[in-house]
Amino acid sequence: MKTFEENWTAWLDGQLSGRELSEFEQSLPDKAAAEAEKANARKLGALLKSELGAPSLTNEEFFSHQLRERIMRESSGPSVEHEAKASTWWTIQRLLWTGTASLAVFLIFTVFVIRDKNPAEESQYLTQILNARVDPVVSPNATVSMFEVKQDRVTVLWTEGLQSLPADYAAK
Amino acid sequence: MGRSLAFLIPFVSLIAGAVSGGQAAETVWSGLVIAENVAQPQAVPPELTRIEGSLKKFFGYNQFQVIGQSQKTLRTGQEDWLATSKFFGLHVDAQGESKAGYVLNLKLYKEKELLLETDAKLSKRSPLVIKGPQVGSGQLLLVLVIQ
Repeated sequence: MKTFEENWTAWLDGQLSGRELSEFEQSLPDKAAAEAEKANARKLGALLKSELGAPSLTNEEFFSHQLRERIMRESSGPSVEHEAKASTWWTIQRLLWTGTASLAVFLIFTVFVIRDKNPAEESQYLTQILNARVDPVVSPNATVSMFEVKQDRVTVLWTEGLQSLPADYAAK
Repeated sequence: MGRSLAFLIPFVSLIAGAVSGGQAAETVWSGLVIAENVAQPQAVPPELTRIEGSLKKFFGYNQFQVIGQSQKTLRTGQEDWLATSKFFGLHVDAQGESKAGYVLNLKLYKEKELLLETDAKLSKRSPLVIKGPQVGSGQLLLVLVIQ
Protein backbone atom coordinates (compact mmCIF):
# COMPACT_ATOMS: atom_id res chain seq x y z
CA MET A 1 0.00 0.00 0.00
CA LYS A 2 1.60 3.26 -1.17
CA THR A 3 1.39 6.40 0.89
CA PHE A 4 -0.23 9.56 -0.47
CA GLU A 5 3.15 11.23 -0.94
CA GLU A 6 4.42 8.31 -3.04
CA ASN A 7 1.34 8.37 -5.20
CA TRP A 8 1.55 12.19 -5.48
CA THR A 9 5.18 12.01 -6.69
CA ALA A 10 4.32 9.25 -9.16
CA TRP A 11 1.29 11.25 -10.42
CA LEU A 12 3.42 14.36 -10.95
CA ASP A 13 5.91 12.25 -12.91
CA GLY A 14 3.06 10.73 -14.95
CA GLN A 15 3.83 7.25 -13.74
CA LEU A 16 0.36 6.32 -12.50
CA SER A 17 -2.00 4.51 -14.85
CA GLY A 18 -5.19 2.53 -14.94
CA ARG A 19 -6.93 1.86 -11.68
CA GLU A 20 -4.18 3.47 -9.59
CA LEU A 21 -4.53 6.72 -11.57
CA SER A 22 -8.32 6.89 -11.32
CA GLU A 23 -8.32 6.02 -7.59
CA PHE A 24 -5.66 8.66 -6.84
CA GLU A 25 -7.40 11.38 -8.88
CA GLN A 26 -10.70 10.63 -7.06
CA SER A 27 -8.88 11.01 -3.74
CA LEU A 28 -7.65 14.51 -4.61
CA PRO A 29 -9.66 17.20 -2.78
CA ASP A 30 -9.13 19.85 -5.51
CA LYS A 31 -8.20 18.29 -8.82
CA ALA A 32 -7.88 21.62 -10.64
CA ALA A 33 -5.32 22.92 -8.17
CA ALA A 34 -3.46 19.63 -8.33
CA GLU A 35 -3.31 19.81 -12.11
CA ALA A 36 -1.96 23.37 -11.91
CA GLU A 37 0.72 22.24 -9.47
CA LYS A 38 1.63 19.35 -11.75
CA ALA A 39 2.05 21.72 -14.68
CA ASN A 40 4.30 24.00 -12.61
CA ALA A 41 6.44 21.09 -11.47
CA ARG A 42 6.98 19.97 -15.06
CA LYS A 43 7.94 23.49 -16.12
CA LEU A 44 10.43 23.72 -13.28
CA GLY A 45 11.94 20.36 -14.22
CA ALA A 46 12.34 21.39 -17.82
CA LEU A 47 13.99 24.67 -16.79
CA LEU A 48 16.48 22.96 -14.48
CA LYS A 49 17.41 20.46 -17.19
CA SER A 50 18.09 23.17 -19.73
CA GLU A 51 20.03 25.50 -17.41
CA LEU A 52 22.08 23.20 -15.16
CA GLY A 53 22.96 20.35 -17.43
CA ALA A 54 26.75 19.95 -18.40
CA PRO A 55 27.35 21.21 -21.92
CA SER A 56 28.32 18.34 -24.12
CA LEU A 57 31.29 18.93 -26.37
CA THR A 58 31.13 18.22 -29.98
CA ASN A 59 33.99 16.44 -31.65
CA GLU A 60 35.44 19.67 -33.08
CA GLU A 61 35.38 21.46 -29.75
CA PHE A 62 36.94 18.48 -27.98
CA PHE A 63 39.75 18.29 -30.58
CA SER A 64 40.53 22.00 -30.37
CA HIS A 65 40.50 21.81 -26.56
CA GLN A 66 43.01 18.93 -26.61
CA LEU A 67 45.18 20.83 -29.09
CA ARG A 68 45.24 23.98 -26.98
CA GLU A 69 46.24 22.04 -23.90
CA ARG A 70 49.10 20.33 -25.73
CA ILE A 71 50.39 23.63 -27.16
CA MET A 72 50.34 25.21 -23.71
CA ARG A 73 52.15 22.20 -22.25
CA GLU A 74 54.88 22.24 -24.88
CA SER A 75 55.41 26.00 -24.83
CA SER A 76 55.69 26.14 -21.04
CA GLY A 77 57.82 22.99 -20.79
CA PRO A 78 61.38 24.41 -21.18
CA SER A 79 60.95 27.22 -18.64
CA VAL A 80 59.74 24.80 -16.01
CA GLU A 81 62.75 22.61 -16.75
CA HIS A 82 65.03 25.64 -16.57
CA GLU A 83 63.61 26.62 -13.18
CA ALA A 84 64.15 23.11 -11.92
CA LYS A 85 67.72 23.20 -13.17
CA ALA A 86 68.41 26.61 -11.63
CA SER A 87 67.09 25.56 -8.28
CA THR A 88 69.67 22.77 -7.98
CA TRP A 89 72.74 24.88 -7.06
CA TRP A 90 74.71 21.96 -5.61
CA THR A 91 75.92 20.42 -8.80
CA ILE A 92 78.70 17.84 -8.66
CA GLN A 93 81.23 20.34 -10.00
CA ARG A 94 80.32 22.97 -7.44
CA LEU A 95 80.42 20.41 -4.68
CA LEU A 96 83.93 19.45 -5.76
CA TRP A 97 85.10 23.05 -5.83
CA THR A 98 83.52 23.79 -2.49
CA GLY A 99 85.25 20.77 -1.02
CA THR A 100 88.59 21.84 -2.47
CA ALA A 101 88.18 25.37 -1.20
CA SER A 102 87.26 24.16 2.28
CA LEU A 103 90.28 21.87 2.33
CA ALA A 104 92.55 24.71 1.25
CA VAL A 105 91.24 27.01 3.98
CA PHE A 106 91.64 24.21 6.51
CA LEU A 107 95.25 23.61 5.43
CA ILE A 108 96.10 27.30 5.64
CA PHE A 109 94.74 27.62 9.15
CA THR A 110 96.39 24.37 10.18
CA VAL A 111 99.78 25.56 8.96
CA PHE A 112 99.43 28.88 10.77
CA VAL A 113 98.29 27.23 13.98
CA ILE A 114 101.09 24.67 13.89
CA ARG A 115 103.67 27.34 13.21
CA ASP A 116 102.45 29.50 16.08
CA LYS A 117 101.54 26.90 18.67
CA ASN A 118 103.96 24.04 18.25
CA PRO A 119 105.44 23.51 21.73
CA ALA A 120 108.56 21.94 20.22
CA GLU A 121 109.46 25.30 18.76
CA GLU A 122 108.86 27.19 21.99
CA SER A 123 112.52 27.11 22.98
CA GLN A 124 113.48 28.46 19.57
CA TYR A 125 111.53 31.60 20.32
CA LEU A 126 114.08 32.54 22.94
CA THR A 127 117.53 33.80 22.18
CA GLN A 128 120.19 31.39 23.35
CA ILE A 129 123.60 32.38 24.62
CA LEU A 130 126.05 29.78 23.40
CA ASN A 131 129.09 30.97 25.36
CA ALA A 132 130.57 34.10 26.94
CA ARG A 133 134.13 35.15 27.83
CA VAL A 134 135.55 38.04 29.81
CA ASP A 135 139.17 39.11 29.46
CA PRO A 136 140.77 37.80 32.68
CA VAL A 137 143.55 40.36 32.49
CA VAL A 138 141.23 43.37 32.34
CA SER A 139 138.60 41.97 34.74
CA PRO A 140 140.12 39.13 36.75
CA ASN A 141 137.14 38.76 39.11
CA ALA A 142 134.43 38.94 36.52
CA THR A 143 131.78 36.24 36.23
CA VAL A 144 129.06 35.69 33.69
CA SER A 145 125.71 34.03 34.00
CA MET A 146 122.76 33.83 31.71
CA PHE A 147 119.05 33.43 32.10
CA GLU A 148 115.95 33.46 30.00
CA VAL A 149 112.70 35.03 30.99
CA LYS A 150 110.13 33.08 29.01
CA GLN A 151 107.28 35.30 30.06
CA ASP A 152 108.94 38.37 28.53
CA ARG A 153 110.87 36.37 25.89
CA VAL A 154 114.05 38.17 26.86
CA THR A 155 117.44 36.54 27.26
CA VAL A 156 119.91 38.23 29.57
CA LEU A 157 123.67 37.79 29.83
CA TRP A 158 124.51 38.95 33.32
CA THR A 159 128.04 39.97 34.12
CA GLU A 160 129.46 40.76 37.55
CA GLY A 161 132.83 42.18 38.47
CA LEU A 162 133.65 44.01 35.28
CA GLN A 163 135.91 46.98 35.73
CA SER A 164 133.87 50.05 36.73
CA LEU A 165 134.31 53.12 34.61
CA PRO A 166 133.84 56.83 35.28
CA ALA A 167 130.71 58.65 34.19
CA ASP A 168 132.54 60.19 31.25
CA TYR A 169 132.26 56.86 29.46
CA ALA A 170 128.52 57.36 29.16
CA ALA A 171 129.16 59.99 26.48
CA LYS A 172 127.56 59.47 23.09
CA MET B 1 88.57 25.93 -17.42
CA GLY B 2 89.54 29.61 -17.08
CA ARG B 3 87.23 30.02 -14.13
CA SER B 4 88.64 26.89 -12.56
CA LEU B 5 92.18 28.18 -12.84
CA ALA B 6 91.20 31.56 -11.49
CA PHE B 7 89.72 29.79 -8.51
CA LEU B 8 92.64 27.43 -7.97
CA ILE B 9 95.62 29.77 -8.32
CA PRO B 10 94.87 32.01 -5.29
CA PHE B 11 94.43 28.99 -3.03
CA VAL B 12 97.62 27.34 -4.20
CA SER B 13 99.48 30.63 -3.74
CA LEU B 14 98.07 31.06 -0.25
CA ILE B 15 99.08 27.56 0.78
CA ALA B 16 102.52 27.90 -0.75
CA GLY B 17 103.02 31.23 0.98
CA ALA B 18 101.87 29.87 4.30
CA VAL B 19 104.09 26.79 4.08
CA SER B 20 107.20 28.57 2.91
CA GLY B 21 106.84 31.27 5.59
CA GLY B 22 108.60 33.86 3.48
CA GLN B 23 112.33 34.26 4.20
CA ALA B 24 112.39 38.04 3.96
CA ALA B 25 115.33 40.23 4.94
CA GLU B 26 115.24 41.32 8.56
CA THR B 27 116.72 44.23 10.43
CA VAL B 28 118.71 43.86 13.62
CA TRP B 29 118.87 46.83 15.93
CA SER B 30 121.96 46.94 18.16
CA GLY B 31 122.21 49.51 20.89
CA LEU B 32 124.58 50.67 23.59
CA VAL B 33 122.35 51.84 26.41
CA ILE B 34 123.14 53.62 29.63
CA ALA B 35 120.68 52.75 32.38
CA GLU B 36 120.42 55.17 35.27
CA ASN B 37 118.18 56.20 38.08
CA VAL B 38 117.28 59.87 37.78
CA ALA B 39 114.70 62.15 39.33
CA GLN B 40 113.01 62.95 36.02
CA PRO B 41 113.56 60.06 33.63
CA GLN B 42 113.33 60.65 29.92
CA ALA B 43 111.06 58.60 27.73
CA VAL B 44 112.33 55.22 26.67
CA PRO B 45 113.66 55.17 23.09
CA PRO B 46 111.19 53.55 20.66
CA GLU B 47 113.52 50.62 19.99
CA LEU B 48 113.33 49.66 23.64
CA THR B 49 109.62 50.19 24.17
CA ARG B 50 108.70 46.52 23.83
CA ILE B 51 111.21 45.49 26.52
CA GLU B 52 110.92 48.53 28.75
CA GLY B 53 109.15 46.58 31.47
CA SER B 54 111.73 43.82 31.43
CA LEU B 55 114.64 46.26 31.58
CA LYS B 56 113.20 48.08 34.57
CA LYS B 57 112.41 44.83 36.32
CA PHE B 58 115.78 43.16 35.74
CA PHE B 59 118.13 46.10 36.26
CA GLY B 60 116.19 48.42 38.56
CA TYR B 61 116.80 51.64 36.64
CA ASN B 62 114.20 54.16 35.52
CA GLN B 63 115.96 55.78 32.55
CA PHE B 64 117.48 54.16 29.49
CA GLN B 65 119.44 56.32 27.07
CA VAL B 66 120.91 55.12 23.83
CA ILE B 67 124.52 56.30 23.49
CA GLY B 68 125.29 54.31 20.34
CA GLN B 69 123.30 52.24 17.91
CA SER B 70 123.22 50.52 14.57
CA GLN B 71 120.53 49.12 12.33
CA LYS B 72 121.60 46.38 9.98
CA THR B 73 119.44 44.65 7.43
CA LEU B 74 120.49 41.05 7.12
CA ARG B 75 120.14 39.46 3.69
CA THR B 76 122.64 36.64 3.72
CA GLY B 77 123.01 36.20 7.47
CA GLN B 78 126.76 36.64 7.08
CA GLU B 79 127.04 40.39 7.58
CA ASP B 80 128.95 42.20 10.30
CA TRP B 81 128.54 45.66 11.72
CA LEU B 82 129.55 48.01 14.50
CA ALA B 83 127.55 50.07 16.97
CA THR B 84 129.67 52.69 18.64
CA SER B 85 129.60 55.42 21.23
CA LYS B 86 132.44 57.77 22.11
CA PHE B 87 134.29 55.15 24.17
CA PHE B 88 132.57 51.84 23.50
CA GLY B 89 132.20 49.73 20.42
CA LEU B 90 130.01 46.68 19.89
CA HIS B 91 131.12 44.56 16.97
CA VAL B 92 128.53 42.09 15.73
CA ASP B 93 129.46 39.34 13.31
CA ALA B 94 126.57 37.32 11.91
CA GLN B 95 127.66 33.77 11.21
CA GLY B 96 124.61 32.24 9.64
CA GLU B 97 120.87 32.07 9.71
CA SER B 98 118.71 29.27 11.02
CA LYS B 99 114.99 28.81 11.34
CA ALA B 100 115.18 30.12 14.89
CA GLY B 101 117.26 33.20 14.14
CA TYR B 102 120.85 34.31 13.56
CA VAL B 103 124.07 33.05 15.07
CA LEU B 104 126.03 36.10 16.20
CA ASN B 105 129.46 36.71 17.62
CA LEU B 106 129.47 39.81 19.82
CA LYS B 107 132.48 41.72 21.05
CA LEU B 108 132.33 44.68 23.39
CA TYR B 109 135.27 47.02 23.23
CA LYS B 110 136.23 49.90 25.49
CA GLU B 111 138.19 51.95 23.02
CA LYS B 112 140.50 49.21 21.69
CA GLU B 113 140.27 46.97 24.72
CA LEU B 114 138.12 43.85 24.48
CA LEU B 115 135.92 43.67 27.57
CA LEU B 116 133.54 40.88 26.71
CA GLU B 117 132.90 38.35 23.98
CA THR B 118 129.93 36.08 23.53
CA ASP B 119 128.25 33.88 20.92
CA ALA B 120 124.49 33.84 20.80
CA LYS B 121 121.68 32.56 18.68
CA LEU B 122 119.46 35.62 18.35
CA SER B 123 115.83 34.65 17.95
CA LYS B 124 113.53 36.66 15.77
CA ARG B 125 111.09 37.05 18.61
CA SER B 126 113.38 37.33 21.58
CA PRO B 127 115.65 40.31 22.36
CA LEU B 128 119.09 39.86 23.90
CA VAL B 129 120.24 42.09 26.75
CA ILE B 130 123.83 42.05 28.04
CA LYS B 131 124.81 43.70 31.25
CA GLY B 132 128.04 45.56 30.70
CA PRO B 133 130.32 47.43 33.09
CA GLN B 134 129.26 49.99 35.64
CA VAL B 135 129.59 53.49 34.19
CA GLY B 136 129.41 56.26 36.80
CA SER B 137 126.19 55.77 38.70
CA GLY B 138 124.65 53.87 35.80
CA GLN B 139 125.10 50.67 33.90
CA LEU B 140 126.05 49.96 30.33
CA LEU B 141 123.64 47.59 28.62
CA LEU B 142 123.92 46.06 25.19
CA VAL B 143 120.62 45.35 23.50
CA LEU B 144 119.97 43.44 20.29
CA VAL B 145 116.51 43.20 18.80
CA ILE B 146 115.31 41.81 15.48
CA GLN B 147 112.78 44.32 14.22
